[in-house]
Amino acid sequence: MLEIQQITKRFQRKAALDEVSLSLKAGEVFGLLGPNGAGKTTLIRIINRILEADAGTIRFKGDLLQQKHLAHIGYLPEERGLYKNMTVEAHAYFLGALRGMSKTDVKQAVNYWLDRFDIQSWRKKRIEELSKGMAQKVQFICAVLHEPELLILDEPFSGFDPVNVELIKQEIIEMKAKGKTILISTHNMQSVEEICDRVALIHQSKKIMEGRVSELQDAAKNGEYAVKFRGTMIGFVNALWTGFELIDKEILGDDRFIARVKMRGDNQFEDLLQVLLGQVKIEAAWEVLPSMQELFINAVSGDKNVVPIQTNY
Amino acid sequence: MKNSWIIAVRELRERIGSRSFVIMAFVGPLLVLSLTYLLFAFGGKEQQNWNVLISDARGIMENKIMAGEDKSLQYSFISDYIEIEDFAQNPSYQKYDALVEVNEKVLTNKISFVFYREKPSLKTSINIRYHVERRLEELVAAKFTDLSVSDFRKIKQPLLMSFKNVYDPKDESSDLGGWVGLFFGAVIFVFIFLFGMTILRSVSREKSNRIVEILLATVHPRSLMLGKIIGVGMSAFIQFLLWFILISLGLYFMRETLFVDIYDASNVADGGSSQAYNQFVELVFERIQFSSMISYFLVFFALGYLFYGAFFAALGAVTGSESDGQQFLLPLIALLLFAMYSGFFVLNNPESSLSTFYHYFPFTSPVVVMVKLAMGYPEGDGYQLIISILILIMSALAVLAIAGKLYKNGLLQYGHTVRLKQIIQWLKIK
Repeated sequence: MLEIQQITKRFQRKAALDEVSLSLKAGEVFGLLGPNGAGKTTLIRIINRILEADAGTIRFKGDLLQQKHLAHIGYLPEERGLYKNMTVEAHAYFLGALRGMSKTDVKQAVNYWLDRFDIQSWRKKRIEELSKGMAQKVQFICAVLHEPELLILDEPFSGFDPVNVELIKQEIIEMKAKGKTILISTHNMQSVEEICDRVALIHQSKKIMEGRVSELQDAAKNGEYAVKFRGTMIGFVNALWTGFELIDKEILGDDRFIARVKMRGDNQFEDLLQVLLGQVKIEAAWEVLPSMQELFINAVSGDKNVVPIQTNY
Repeated sequence: MKNSWIIAVRELRERIGSRSFVIMAFVGPLLVLSLTYLLFAFGGKEQQNWNVLISDARGIMENKIMAGEDKSLQYSFISDYIEIEDFAQNPSYQKYDALVEVNEKVLTNKISFVFYREKPSLKTSINIRYHVERRLEELVAAKFTDLSVSDFRKIKQPLLMSFKNVYDPKDESSDLGGWVGLFFGAVIFVFIFLFGMTILRSVSREKSNRIVEILLATVHPRSLMLGKIIGVGMSAFIQFLLWFILISLGLYFMRETLFVDIYDASNVADGGSSQAYNQFVELVFERIQFSSMISYFLVFFALGYLFYGAFFAALGAVTGSESDGQQFLLPLIALLLFAMYSGFFVLNNPESSLSTFYHYFPFTSPVVVMVKLAMGYPEGDGYQLIISILILIMSALAVLAIAGKLYKNGLLQYGHTVRLKQIIQWLKIK
């Protein structure tokens, strides 16, 4: 769908992107991760032909990316903005026309989206009459109005309240189901785990990691398991004996805990369950996978020894 | 190009819908009309009687002139050539305030000179010109055509009458038609300035509200800039049309109500200012060669606007915030004022080499050409006008190309303070 090959971009002497290559498959949600200033927005602007790359090529469905392809791309920039004194509807007609839509197409699409978000009453409202979150919804609609095959969302969740974040997530999932390809740049790691099929991590203008979310987590796991149980901590530790190592514990109540354990020797998860049986009452047990947040921080800080902590958002 | 048009139409809609556009459309003409009214209602009280001697060696005018009821001008004829110095020094001519030279070529080359001792007022100049021209028209119509005088007036060429100080005839004093040209030039520059500022504000607003990023994802920066300049330009043109219609209506209305013609018995008392006013209106609407004046006005309006508009657009694109960039606005305004001054300079020194330079210099040519057009190009010099247009077109294209580059490189930079060094750097980027 989108082949990014060896893209390099410099601003004066500073490299913003250094031979970055990515490949997006049709119908997937691809997460572009990286700390501020890593070069994500620069890459997105190059894909949108707002900036020109110094070197490298981008192919859209096999063809070299050209101006004509922009009609098939939707873009929600990180810096949101609309004309304050123009109405919601006028925006749709204006931006729709720029994407090559006819008036009847825009009319249909506007009706569909205003109904879908249940905001028909905003149609004739000027942007200055709307709240920030409302304006962002309008901007999202403007980005998807022309049913783009590739949708590029730069920090789509920033500035939205949790209800709207959920709404946008659902829309992304819906669009994926329709076979659209979606490129998301975000800091919101929880959403990455929820909706992204694959991710790439850009750090200091280089791509340092790329892959399926589950594969990356698998590759980074370090044999840790968690057991939620009812009983005493002493009983639990005694049961472990020398075959396992207790790393951390979380007290849930008087006699309820979550303990985190690492295997020693050739011990497996099944062996752990066996030694615990009869000693404590197991409520749940699972393999601890590093969260994307941890992977991100580890990769960026370069410190592989950071102990992954399962964070519940 | 299609996208430029979409951008232009949006810009036009926004401009025309804005309150300032509507206010300007009414306040501007009202201001011009009030000034005109004041000029004639209170400026026209001059009671000096002028004795004008017409030197008509060949007796072309047959000692007749249409002075009408205007008692402030007394004409005498002499069928001889009079040397300027003689007129200035000879005691027998001292009773005359001005000498009008009508030589045998006047019927074909339409050039006549007036030498005055004291500079005549606007009203008196208009009157002298009007009287002489009317008489000459009668003669030309009778001599060269089968037309009636009124039919002839519809197709005639204006008389080029230049007023000179008899004691300093080399000083090429401003001629009345030239002032009308300067007025047209001034209109061009007022519009360029007002709507150039509109471009500047519109660009920096798009930058500050960040919509520019979405626009750039669909439109090439150059098309975006062009669309914006064209859109604002169309609104400027509509504004101009409104001014033109309202001022014309206003002048007509004033003629019908405030400055009723002298022949109307009820208004004899105030005849002086009415007549001057009516002749002024006639000067504006009939004596100036409007067909060519208006078409060249539109050409230079459009080209001058494109030329300067590109500067304003580029400035808007390189600024870091809406309040930034004032220090670069100043030189632009200075250039516009300089252009106005150059028009005034050419009016007074039409033949100097500096005037020729101003005539071709793209920063000043829109005003200067208007002045020259109103004064009339000497026969065979029409090519100068074409050269001036070509230079302006090429300069406009060059400036648009440079501005397009700045637009492309500066548009996504926010929050900085614009510096010349930075601008040069952006210009160097491929």
